[in-house]
Amino acid sequence: MNQSSDTSDPRYRIVIIGGGTAGWMTAAGLARQLSSRDYAITLIESDEIGTVGVGEATLPHIKLFNDMLGLDEAEFMRATRATFKLGIEFRDWDRPGDRYIHPFGAFGEPWGGVEFQHHWLRAKAAGCDVPPFAACSYAVVAAAADKFELPNEDPKSIRSTYSYAYHFDAGLYANFLRAWATARGVKRIEGQVETIDRDGESGALTAVTLKSGMHIAGDLFVDCTGFRSLLLAGQFGVGWEDWTHWLPCDRAFAVPCAHGGGFTPYTRSTAREAGWQWRIPLQHRIGNGYIFSSNFIAEDDARDALLGRLDGEALGEPRLLRFQPGRRETSWVGNCIGIGLASGFLEPLESTSIYLIQAAVSDLVNLMPAPHSKGRSPDPRLAEEFNRLSTMQYERVRDFLILHYVANRREGEPLWDYLRAMPLPDALVHKLALFRGRAKAPDYQFGLFSRDSWLSVLLGQGIVPDRHDPMADTFDLARIAERIGDFRDRIAGGVAAMPTHAEFVADYCAMPGGIAA
Amino acid sequence: MSAAPRHVVIAGRDAALWLTAAAIQRALAPAGVTVTALELPSALTPASTYVSLPAIEALHVRLGIDEAALLRDTRGSFTLGHNVAGPGAAPFFLAHGSYGAPIDGQGFFPFWVKARRFGLGAALEDFSPTAMAARQGRMLLPDAATEVFGRTDYGYHLPGIAYAGVLKTRAARLGVTLHQTHGVAVERDGDTIRALVADGERIGGDLFVDAGAGFHDDADREDWGDGFVTDRVLIARTAPFSSIPAYTELRAGPNGWLSLQASQAATHVAYAFVSTEQDDAAALAVAGALAGLPLGDAMVQVVSPGRDPRPWHGNTIAIGEAACTFDPLFGLDLHAIQLGIVHLLSLFPAGPDFAAERDEYNRIVASSFDRLREFQSTFYALNQFGASEFWANAREAAVPPEVAHKIATFRARGDIAPMEDETFAPDLWQALFAGLGEMPESWPPAIDRTPPERMKEDFRRILGFIKDKVLEQPTHDAYLATLCRSEAA
Repeated sequence: MNQSSDTSDPRYRIVIIGGGTAGWMTAAGLARQLSSRDYAITLIESDEIGTVGVGEATLPHIKLFNDMLGLDEAEFMRATRATFKLGIEFRDWDRPGDRYIHPFGAFGEPWGGVEFQHHWLRAKAAGCDVPPFAACSYAVVAAAADKFELPNEDPKSIRSTYSYAYHFDAGLYANFLRAWATARGVKRIEGQVETIDRDGESGALTAVTLKSGMHIAGDLFVDCTGFRSLLLAGQFGVGWEDWTHWLPCDRAFAVPCAHGGGFTPYTRSTAREAGWQWRIPLQHRIGNGYIFSSNFIAEDDARDALLGRLDGEALGEPRLLRFQPGRRETSWVGNCIGIGLASGFLEPLESTSIYLIQAAVSDLVNLMPAPHSKGRSPDPRLAEEFNRLSTMQYERVRDFLILHYVANRREGEPLWDYLRAMPLPDALVHKLALFRGRAKAPDYQFGLFSRDSWLSVLLGQGIVPDRHDPMADTFDLARIAERIGDFRDRIAGGVAAMPTHAEFVADYCAMPGGIAA
Repeated sequence: MSAAPRHVVIAGRDAALWLTAAAIQRALAPAGVTVTALELPSALTPASTYVSLPAIEALHVRLGIDEAALLRDTRGSFTLGHNVAGPGAAPFFLAHGSYGAPIDGQGFFPFWVKARRFGLGAALEDFSPTAMAARQGRMLLPDAATEVFGRTDYGYHLPGIAYAGVLKTRAARLGVTLHQTHGVAVERDGDTIRALVADGERIGGDLFVDAGAGFHDDADREDWGDGFVTDRVLIARTAPFSSIPAYTELRAGPNGWLSLQASQAATHVAYAFVSTEQDDAAALAVAGALAGLPLGDAMVQVVSPGRDPRPWHGNTIAIGEAACTFDPLFGLDLHAIQLGIVHLLSLFPAGPDFAAERDEYNRIVASSFDRLREFQSTFYALNQFGASEFWANAREAAVPPEVAHKIATFRARGDIAPMEDETFAPDLWQALFAGLGEMPESWPPAIDRTPPERMKEDFRRILGFIKDKVLEQPTHDAYLATLCRSEAA
């Protein structure tokens, strides 16, 4: 047998199966935060296995991850053809013709301990001349004007009220992290896993053997093999909790196209007859996809519909992805942890795939077995906490995604009619009732999403609260209306002075050869 | 009711009644809400106190209660936390302030765990400015340097009758309508209360708050009795100390525990015990011995921990003990009242149909109360105060699954499993575990990247900062004297 030198490594050996975004974010995150004296990290990937790579849009949290690694932002953006993202535009989601932006930033500011939306709703109900709610978000106004610049760190500045994320080529991001990680001690092995060895007594994974005959032993295995879930599903038979009844989309066609239709600092999601279409502008091209329910449209029709609705010439043939929304019942079993699609899938409606990877990596770093526990199965108490946190993350994102669908008014379209009528998770029913009744938006400490995010989608989907917090009625109405107007003016003034997104990217981080917009 | 509730009737007594009445009046009178308070005879005795958590300061500010005036009028004192002492273990301090400061961008606690493993002698509390100030009889007043370091908060010991008096005066000044009554009768219409009848007078309203009057329907109350052994608490008092400690002393005795709350007016004690092990007279003798003080004005109260899963039912909201009775450990009653008020204000009905507000109130209040109970439950479950029946039963009492999970996660890694609606900060939880003798079996390996020299240097820096900062502080006695004198002038 062709023995890898890893077998005799005295360090705690972490073996990551699968490259792609999940594999390389895991490798880089662990390499950065664990001491290489104590941990040996190996990643096995095969060029013959494609990666899904639809997660080209991100959330602002990614910046924390990149900063933790110490990446140079402009360098990373050049390398991944990245653009900036201030939010997501939802088109036609409520009714055809409607649009709203879910921004990475606040709406207004609380006054006198009362949240902004209550002041705004009250002033509007009282007949004051108030600007639209969206005009009270710096990120929305800047995004709608196709403008961008880095936020100001001074909390007193109106320009500190937003944050940003990126659109990038996920394949290039994985490559970037691969170069970063392998330069810092992560061992990359090219090959396909052929057999998997387990301890006869404990059932723990002990090694994998590649087609080449190479034998790689490990103490802890991370399953980043995507939907296949070679280890969690394949070896441990961990079941899948199916959420199709709440999130019926189960297919996607993805295709890039040439630039056209605006160099937007936001992702666009357009509701379609049997799902929705994404548009993600990169420096050199636009990523597109039609995510749909196979119960409501034939695959060929979905493919044709996508090709007919691109902003530029299609660059290649649309690629079909099949999936089932849901999550693996357990993410950490014995000495195996699933990260990325191996542990769950939620459609990219709110760009959460990479965030969920990042959260899992962060939890894994905190709960990583100690190096001296080598030779023993990981402490199940660590796994239990990891699994509790993972469940919380997935369920919170899930409910937020469902929200987009339930409040639609696209009557007469079978998918959308189904979505309006479907039974909802109890926690979401409660959140909706509370917002309708008194404009109170969900506000919790852990996991996604923030109160402002909930507000943007609740209001964006046309849910108009019947009432507001009565505490808002204790303020002087004229003064409140004036403050809202001032806030709008400060935003408008700030945005007017910003460079366009295209100008900013061209100046800050343009790819070799320049941006295509 | 066809419009939003306008008239709130609150019946009860003491701090629960007056804090609720004042808070609703203060917040919502400008929106047209009126508040009537029906005052039942006080349940307080001269020995009664309220022990506050730091959060109360914000509520006092909202009500316009000035701190100096409060301490002068009640002859209260500050408390920087709890000093816990008992047989078989070193005393430890549960501080209203941070333990340590981040090292190399990472949280302090795992570094301390690691250093202890390698022979560090310093206790966790040595890294808390708040705990160290308390141990030296000093205050800890926040400044720019302490704010960089971390939290430095405090609570109060407030003699009960005087505090209730301050709150009542405040409620009256704010415009609450006051009635005194010997009892209340209820006029119901299904789940809805139409009016309370107080000494023959009918008082109608839209919302009714039970702040100790007992009309709230608590048929679904969950009994927490199998989680807590104590069923009696004796309260008493004695002459004030000549020098007043700026903390609450919690002493574990052989068959119960004693809490000493020193104020300018008196030294108050609470002694928790089990009635089948000690009768009231025996309890008084043991409490006196544990305190080492002659006790007077003693009174024994029944303790029956439990929580109503729906403190808001129909148009009735239970606040304080009517909603949840806590074990007396750490004196959480005032904080529970505050939680009930804060959530009621943020969910005060906006219209005639308030089912969603009610559901949310019941959800969030239950969750917040559970987190408090878990803190108490952890203390009892992990106590090492000897083999007596009291402490052995406390160790074996049932714990909620959240407590089992928090203990398991701490033992494995030293982390506090994050949960929503916590009152106590993670480092206070860690201080509780560590103080009770629990040391995590491992730490997050990410801290091993920090060189030991860096860690040692930061430890020295933190200890040096604390030493200097504590020496700058006034003594608690001097601070109280200055504060109360200046305001009286």
